[in-house]
Amino acid sequence: MKYFHSIRWRLQLWHGLLLVFVLTGFGFTAWQLQRANHLNRVDHELEQRMGIIAGMVRPDTSPPPDRPRPRGFPPANRPPFGNPFPEPANLRLPAREASLFEGIPGQEFYYIIWLPNDQQGVLSSSAPPDAPRPERIPGPPAFRSRGTFRECFQATPSRECLLVGRDIRSELADIRRFAWLLGGAGGAVLLLGLAGGWWVSTRALHPIADISATAAKIATGDLTQRIHTTDTDSELGQLARDLNNTFARLQASFARQSQFTADASHELRTPVAVVLTQTQTALARERPAAEYRESLAACQRAAQRMRGLIECLLTLARLDSAEVPATLESCDLGGIVGEAVELVRPLANEQNIHLDLELSQAHCRGNAGQLAQVASNLLTNAIHYNRPGGSVRISVICEPDAALFCVSDTGMGIPPADLPHIFERFYRVDKARSGAQGHSGLGLAITQAIVHAHGGSIEVASEPGQGSTFEVRLPTGSKNPRSASWTND
Amino acid sequence: MRILLIEDEADLIASLARALREEGYAVDTATDGKVGLYKAESADYDAIVLDVMLPFLDGWEILQRLRQSKKTPVLMLTARDAARDRVRGLDTGADDYLVKPFDLDELFARLRALIRRTAGQTRNVIEIGNVVMDTAARHVTLCGKPVALTAREYALVEFLALHRGETVTRSALYEHLFDEDENTLSNLLDVHVSNLRKKLGAEFIATRRGHGYCIE
Repeated sequence: MKYFHSIRWRLQLWHGLLLVFVLTGFGFTAWQLQRANHLNRVDHELEQRMGIIAGMVRPDTSPPPDRPRPRGFPPANRPPFGNPFPEPANLRLPAREASLFEGIPGQEFYYIIWLPNDQQGVLSSSAPPDAPRPERIPGPPAFRSRGTFRECFQATPSRECLLVGRDIRSELADIRRFAWLLGGAGGAVLLLGLAGGWWVSTRALHPIADISATAAKIATGDLTQRIHTTDTDSELGQLARDLNNTFARLQASFARQSQFTADASHELRTPVAVVLTQTQTALARERPAAEYRESLAACQRAAQRMRGLIECLLTLARLDSAEVPATLESCDLGGIVGEAVELVRPLANEQNIHLDLELSQAHCRGNAGQLAQVASNLLTNAIHYNRPGGSVRISVICEPDAALFCVSDTGMGIPPADLPHIFERFYRVDKARSGAQGHSGLGLAITQAIVHAHGGSIEVASEPGQGSTFEVRLPTGSKNPRSASWTND
Repeated sequence: MRILLIEDEADLIASLARALREEGYAVDTATDGKVGLYKAESADYDAIVLDVMLPFLDGWEILQRLRQSKKTPVLMLTARDAARDRVRGLDTGADDYLVKPFDLDELFARLRALIRRTAGQTRNVIEIGNVVMDTAARHVTLCGKPVALTAREYALVEFLALHRGETVTRSALYEHLFDEDENTLSNLLDVHVSNLRKKLGAEFIATRRGHGYCIE
């Protein structure tokens, strides 16, 4: 059963069957031709001799004068029809004709003549005694094969039946030999074909074994394995390349995932360390109530930080899996940003930061809650990383096919070396600024994930010492009637 | 024993400092890399507890620079637990490595071991005549009977015992027993020494006039 399901064996089986079919067809045809050829030759010889016998039995009534009459059939005493040969011994073939009936002993030609009364009239010495009389069908000579004999027979108009035959054992042996030769050659070709087919299918399927072995290694967890592709042009080479690309992407994604997990656990370690040391110190001995309160407050801060981190991680995980795409509805980005601004205004006032607003109505397709988080993250960053007394410019503009949300601050800016990485998870420009201030290093990663989930884009430009500008573009969506009116303009 | 804590997490450093002080250590703190390195280079600490992620200078860099001038034992404290991080820390010159979150007891034990090893001791128990000190239990007995010592007195005995046979100067004692925030009176040391002589015997601590104190 296993062999039946193997592609190689199925190929081989099909290939073998086809070969057998073709070889059998050709072999049989060749054998038939050879046999017909042999029989034709024999038949031709028999027919020649039949002509002689027939001529003697019913000689030409007006033979040409120069033609000598065969001896033994003198025209003078030529018997009348019906009983031409009262004595079989009377048939005498002239020497020239008689020589035609000689041959290899046992394979001589023979003749038999049946009289109209079914009596065997004349038969040659070499004729088999048990030859049955053929049907008397007037007409041209007919042929039959009887055992190892080939016979030609003819009925004369006077109802005699003439038969000329020969033992064709040697011809039959020739045909048999030829059949064996054909069989042998066919078998050899079949074996050669099968071997060749096996070799070709082995070679063709060899990369599959490679691919399968590599995939098995990868399945056990070794993601560094790759398929070795020497044959780059074949279909399997192409497949191997595609698979290798897939493996590389898988490996990168696993590496990102494990880096993310490591970073997340790293972020959780510090607050847990705070809780542990605080509680262990507090519990080591009896203390005044104020010290307990202090410890509990520290534990609470650590717990809040962990809660914030867990919320961020969950948000990211949900955005990553995107199992249920956030319901997108038409919403006004200007309104959403306006609400977010009011939420962060106390924070800005606290740090004496001026908020410069330029909000216009801009419809886009999105999830209002998630877009509010985008606005809130960018605004909080712009205030947090600003200089005291600085300003933040916030604008929402309607573009032909997108809603554009811009946040510019006058803060410290982002060093060019860090700029490409700021959307990475847990990436912090200031490496030591840990989560104590409530910044997990996930805010921009979440922002970017939300914007991408909306089919939008986020870009950043920064001048160190001058400030940074974040630009979020969200598509208006084709279903938006206003976008339709814009395209008509 | 005087310890320097370099850690930027305010809640963590506060509770660590309190716990270490309660263990009888003099504790100085630094919440960023620059201050930490400055303090580490300017005083002889018995051990430094060093966080890796710090503002201005990270733990690796502090360690690297400190090792050019000082052999102070350093215990690295970090949230990174990958083997390569631990190897890097130890190769850069850290003497021990502890991954957050940790148990305070483990941190104390590792600090004790670090200080003991630096002083050339291999055991927790130090025997000086009739006096037996258990540095793990912070416990002293005289002729098998426990002796009640204050934290400061114990620290003084422990420091002298770890440097047994050496004459320890008064300034070294001040440096190792009191942290930077304490306004110590110059005769405070004499008071402690006199109390210890009452509790452990007059001959226990010898005075080298003009030099310092010594446990023979």
